[in-house]
Amino acid sequence: MKNPKVKLLFLLFTSAVILAVGPAWANTVKVGVVGPRTGGAAATGQAFDEGIKLAINYINNKGGVLGKKLEVVFEDTAGAPDKAASGFERLVTRDKVVMVVGESHSSAALAEIEVANRMKVPFIVAEAWADPITAKNYEYVFRAGPSNSGVVNETIAKWVAHAGFKKAYIVAENSDWGLGIAELTEKALIALGVKYEKLTTERKSQDHYTELTKIKEFAPEVILAYVYGDGLHFFVAQAGELKVSPRAVILDGAGPPSLWPDFWKNVGEYGNLETFVSSMHEKVELTPLAAEFRTMYEKEFGKSPTDYKSRSIFDAILIAADAVKRAGCTDADSLVKALKKTELEGTRGIIKFGTTPGGPEYHQWMPPMLIIQWQDRNQVVIYPPKAATGTLKR
Amino acid sequence: MLPMALMNGLVMGVIYALAALGVSLVVGIMNVINFAHGEFYILAGYFSYLFADTLGLNPILSMSLAVGMVFLFGIVIEYTIIRPTYGNHMYSLILTFILSIVLQNAYLLIFGPYPKKPPGWVKGATNIFGDFCYGNQRLAALAAGTVLIVAVFLLIKKTWFGRMIRAASQDREMAELNGVNTALLNTFSFGLGCALAAAAGVVLAPVFPVTPTSGVPVALTAFVVVVLGGMGSMWGCVIGGLILGLVENLGAAFISTGYKHLFGFIILIVVLAVKPSGLFGSRET
Repeated sequence: MKNPKVKLLFLLFTSAVILAVGPAWANTVKVGVVGPRTGGAAATGQAFDEGIKLAINYINNKGGVLGKKLEVVFEDTAGAPDKAASGFERLVTRDKVVMVVGESHSSAALAEIEVANRMKVPFIVAEAWADPITAKNYEYVFRAGPSNSGVVNETIAKWVAHAGFKKAYIVAENSDWGLGIAELTEKALIALGVKYEKLTTERKSQDHYTELTKIKEFAPEVILAYVYGDGLHFFVAQAGELKVSPRAVILDGAGPPSLWPDFWKNVGEYGNLETFVSSMHEKVELTPLAAEFRTMYEKEFGKSPTDYKSRSIFDAILIAADAVKRAGCTDADSLVKALKKTELEGTRGIIKFGTTPGGPEYHQWMPPMLIIQWQDRNQVVIYPPKAATGTLKR
Repeated sequence: MLPMALMNGLVMGVIYALAALGVSLVVGIMNVINFAHGEFYILAGYFSYLFADTLGLNPILSMSLAVGMVFLFGIVIEYTIIRPTYGNHMYSLILTFILSIVLQNAYLLIFGPYPKKPPGWVKGATNIFGDFCYGNQRLAALAAGTVLIVAVFLLIKKTWFGRMIRAASQDREMAELNGVNTALLNTFSFGLGCALAAAAGVVLAPVFPVTPTSGVPVALTAFVVVVLGGMGSMWGCVIGGLILGLVENLGAAFISTGYKHLFGFIILIVVLAVKPSGLFGSRET
């Protein structure tokens, strides 16, 4: 091969062959994770990173999957649908992942499910709540986390009825999640006969004085706040300044921002008596694996777990690994069949996907959710009654 | 509702004006659009948080140190990144855009994704005329913002340095012929522009905690104010900031809270359609 052109062709051909058969030689099984590592919800990316690290150790210490180590490849979506769709596609085409899990932005997940469906790659959504994600009934799309309808109908509406609130105010950020959950809440409040008003706020808004002045004029007993991220901190602090709370109880309808490390620094004493939705409590563990997760987390990171999204992604990766093991191969259709038959203990309960098509329950597993209230900086479970560690204070 | 909307519009307007003054100064003198303006605002918020919260320094001292450090950082950036691009506006635009992304990621790496809030100067709220409650920290921000804006005007209108700035922004070559070192002036002006962003940052961080990406809307608003008021016009910044603050809050109060920032853009389009050079801008000849 003295001719340089022939040499180059040979090199290109060899490289192409290696790239084509590479995955077969690989001694790892790759699972992709999509989520925001940058942008307004980068805190979720941090929680995801923590959960991923624990899941990889947990699975590989038990022998990995199909005799190989589990490897996770993370694509940052920054919460933007365009980045999410291209990131998902990169995971499949460049990294050759067998399955994708994750996401916490509904708008990003709604873009990703289209790619998953088109490329026929199993996708387990962890923390994007919008109903259409599973209501579209895509064969390759699953959700092992809360859905808007599940959270509203199973938890928030029942709590509103249980607490006996007669006047409520719905505040929703203008995102797929916020608008979707507000609409469902509205229907639930109408069914309950609760008097209510509703307003939309900008997703990235920092100043909520105008919104809070309108809320104050209505004098609600409870404010159902569907505002994510640092916007929730602004909302709680400003509600306190305008003396809207604690006259009205604020419910953080997303959860994690009320548990972020700087919550108390940012909201001060106005955070007292605020309530939030959560799939975990600082002291109560729902399954033996949840207790094991806490031990692993404390050992690895030297602090207690707070953001429940680290558990969500941990569970999602466990489900993926379990499906690969039961399928005995990485073929997409075999994985979907295995996922449909999932019955696995996670950190938030026994995970089993719905199989009745037609609604958002298809391929959906809804974890049990709690309503917790900050009482003198202690978390008190106030709903459901069987899990309650105290009662609502006003 | 109306008194609250007016009051909040006034407060937000003063803050917008303060943030926009730095952009206007740099545009007026150097013809450079600093896309990383919001990141300098955030950096001051983080410094203020570090000094006051982590090191336990006095809040006023922390804020002064933060503004000073951002001023020095601005000078370094001008010397290393902006200066080589003189004569080509597109390069400085692209470089400051890249700087903005680099700084956002650096903040994420260093300070983490969670919002950071320096300690407030005052607590609680005041009942205004028995009509509505208003946060004391915001009232303090209004006072501090007003004092800073007046100080900037005095600096530009009444001092030797200000005279040089005005001369260079009117006719750079003539200023040079009269002995003004315009290269040095650029460096100090860019530093001052960054320091103004920093001043807005330290005033507002106790009200709106900073995150790695929260500088983006600040910069966007500052650009809207500068264009609305007229490129390079100091009075334009103040009037533009107040108009934007009032329009956003009145629109949110009486039309919809879901489109607060849209109202500002509508006003911008209307003003540009009627007066393309902005409210106080002079038409280029």
